[in-house]
Amino acid sequence: MRRQRPTLIAVSTLIAVTLTTAPTPANAAPPDQVTALTAHQADGYTTLAWQPVDGATDYQIERTPVDADNTPTGAPTIVGIWRPNRQINQHAPTFADAGYNPGDTFQWRVRARTGTTEQPYSDPVTATTTAPWGNPTTPGEQLRTGWETTHAAQYTTDTDEYAYTAAIDALSDRVRVVELGRTVQNRPINMMVIGHPTPAATPEAVAATAPVAINCNVHGNEPGDREACLIMARQLAFSTDPRITDLLSHTTVLIVPTINGDGRANNTRGNSTGQDLNRDYSLIRQPETTAYITMVRDYRPVAGYDGHEFGNSRAGDLPMLPPRHQNVAQPIFDQSQDMIEGHMYAKGAEAGWWACPYGCEGGGNVGLSEETILRNTLGLKNVTNSLLELRSSGGQTRPDEGNTTNNRRRKTYSALWTFHQFLDYHRADRADILKARSEAIETQAANTGRLVFRGSRPIPAHPAPHPGDSPPPLDAPPADLILDNPPCAYKLTDAQYNDARTDGPGGVGTTVAQRIAAHGWKVITIGDDHYIPLNQPERGLIPLLLDGKGVEKLTDGERVYPTLTGRRNGPLAVTGFTCADDATINGPVTVRTGAALVTTATTISGPLIAAGAAGILLADSTINGPVRIATTGTISIIDATIAGPVDLSGNTAGTDAPVLAGTTIRGPLNCTGNNPTPHNLGIVNTVHGPRTTQCAAL
Amino acid sequence: MSHPATPPRHPRRFRGPHGARRVQRTLGLLLPTLLLAACTGSPAAPRTDAAPASAAPQPTGPLCAALPTGTDPGNPSFLAGQPVDQALRWIPTLTTFEAALRTSGVLTDLPAGDGVTVLAPSDDAFAATFSEDNWDDLMTHHTDQLRTLLKAHLITGSHPIADLTTAGTATTLDGVTVTVTRTGPTTRLGDRADTVCADYQATNARIHIINAVLGPLPATADGTGHRAH
Repeated sequence: MRRQRPTLIAVSTLIAVTLTTAPTPANAAPPDQVTALTAHQADGYTTLAWQPVDGATDYQIERTPVDADNTPTGAPTIVGIWRPNRQINQHAPTFADAGYNPGDTFQWRVRARTGTTEQPYSDPVTATTTAPWGNPTTPGEQLRTGWETTHAAQYTTDTDEYAYTAAIDALSDRVRVVELGRTVQNRPINMMVIGHPTPAATPEAVAATAPVAINCNVHGNEPGDREACLIMARQLAFSTDPRITDLLSHTTVLIVPTINGDGRANNTRGNSTGQDLNRDYSLIRQPETTAYITMVRDYRPVAGYDGHEFGNSRAGDLPMLPPRHQNVAQPIFDQSQDMIEGHMYAKGAEAGWWACPYGCEGGGNVGLSEETILRNTLGLKNVTNSLLELRSSGGQTRPDEGNTTNNRRRKTYSALWTFHQFLDYHRADRADILKARSEAIETQAANTGRLVFRGSRPIPAHPAPHPGDSPPPLDAPPADLILDNPPCAYKLTDAQYNDARTDGPGGVGTTVAQRIAAHGWKVITIGDDHYIPLNQPERGLIPLLLDGKGVEKLTDGERVYPTLTGRRNGPLAVTGFTCADDATINGPVTVRTGAALVTTATTISGPLIAAGAAGILLADSTINGPVRIATTGTISIIDATIAGPVDLSGNTAGTDAPVLAGTTIRGPLNCTGNNPTPHNLGIVNTVHGPRTTQCAAL
Repeated sequence: MSHPATPPRHPRRFRGPHGARRVQRTLGLLLPTLLLAACTGSPAAPRTDAAPASAAPQPTGPLCAALPTGTDPGNPSFLAGQPVDQALRWIPTLTTFEAALRTSGVLTDLPAGDGVTVLAPSDDAFAATFSEDNWDDLMTHHTDQLRTLLKAHLITGSHPIADLTTAGTATTLDGVTVTVTRTGPTTRLGDRADTVCADYQATNARIHIINAVLGPLPATADGTGHRAH
């Protein structure tokens, strides 16, 4: 509107002089003409912004290639259609124009349509677009992917990817490439570990930086996100932009370009056995998903994105969805929604990308609660995360994407925008993400509330204006897939736990024991029985694999319910597997050799002593007295309050690290001679006393 | 530092990335192709002006404008100097077909020196024919069916589309004879598929992009065109 005001003055002056002819002055904007068009350049796209026209139904964005003298070198083309339901701030329309060769020069004009009536075009703006990132003569920056050098005619091949990531690794101190595993056909599954000035040295040290993880390509025939990941890796590795170095100084970025290298090479959705890997992240029957889940266990990302492409032509540019499974802790769902709706929708409205909920706009029965899907698996592992889809076709928004390479560019550069926004969100909201994670882990470990085997939280339509006409489908759990009374643990026989399986490639599957280990769950073994208690961080996921009601389960574990509830006075000697829930125990508790104690919502007034025990798992419990755990197998203390000294010593029998997290200790904390070393899952403990040796940093 | 596996940034006409060996082979194979072209003065051919031997190939059809042109990487002149398996990689609408040919090994099984004509269904054609599950199943579990399907898209010898039209029929490597008829600006094959960008050249090969899948397998696509993430 800024430019219209002087025009009105000029017109009124003219009217006074020559009322009948009244030619519109050259600089006068008719009221329905778009004004104040601007073009802002970014990596692979141009944000066009303009003043809205009252009553406009939509806007058409025209692009014309021009040479250095501003002479057209091609035909003007309508490349974009903007409609009001696409962004949450409709008073400031923006459109991210992409799908051109970055570095070329264009002229843009925008016009409103009222119904189908085309209004006058805006004045043109001309700009040279941003060339592919990186100075062509600066070592490192000059690297290009196969996709970039072929102008998107070819996707980066597997061997190109390995050479490109190896070159980044060699030339940048910030990047370390690690091999997470191998595909069925023996292709490496690489991950770039990126930090500033260098990435932390070990998975445990990386975990302490609250890392973020991007899974770039699970479906081999959906390669757009992978190209964005490879480009972003180069930017993160070599950019001197303070924003980038600041991001990398505060976290570690984990980029897995291709977990499905076999499917990518064959352009198939599944891996080389035909298995859809995004239906396998809980079951981990395949080596590719096992590699990813093991990475999540070891590096403990706190936030994630999972890249896909989407064939529904009615969808937005960037459909997203949080983990919806109802066993996901509420704080993780809320934080994921905040990332999508609070951040991506708002930033999308600024940049001109149409981010919207996956499954809206007649998307069909998609985006549901299968825990086999990484979005839900990660949510059940207390990771704030989102699905990312790139709409395959130009769709309603982009009518000129018949050119395949231009279509590919739009998809990849929209993914690149999303991944950078993801890093910015993590940087700005890291404290909230970590708080959500802590609360989620403590909620899960408390093992309260019903369990749902399938069923999603609703995704309400974003408050109008919302980016899409309809919300994703409802997915309430059916009554027969709800368990109101959760058990304390699942008991597996030795056969269930250790027998060979046939559900992997070539009819050979890893054992349940190996899969539970890959998930990182605590197991207590007593004789031939193997107990998986629910008072641990992945409480929402465990029953989906081990309960008879599980829809896609590994085995039918036996539900074990608490044997110790209510008030109990006097000394207690624990033998066998003992589960206390909502109990008050007044007296000293001794866990005998080979026995195990699992507690939730329990208070023990007296010392808790375990020596040579099979396991101690305490959650949401209070110990009014000293705690001494020695030479014990499985140890986890989450969200406990301990009034007295705590001593963890000589615990070397367990295969995984003792956990001490979110616990308040009114007394000294001593940890010596434990192997592996105890860790805190990234949730600090409050210790009112000295901490020694192995627990000094907990 | 650059990485060796990356294709050349500026494609060179009639020369592959591997230097002298490829050039020698290209010249050897180019000659019969040119002789064949010289013998086919079909009236249906769009260009009868005796083009010089080095003239840029000009694929024709409605899809051509959406594919790399001019000096873009993967342009038709560059592809004319590429072996057919490499040329197919450069055509961005053939990702499904190209991967299937490569995975199945059908191309490498062809007798050397005979040349080949490829009737290449576009990605859209595959998506309209096979469900994603069905296609993955064919690619991973049914190699024999896949090979038969692919052979239904290969013809011995390097034939411009005009030659095929003149002949009226062509026999594909699966032993089936398909009709080839001119229908306005494009060519119809087997009463099912139309050329959408015909007459790409590669070394001793022609590639005609078509808009439907030939061969015996039933259609399984359900029209939704996508699966959930």
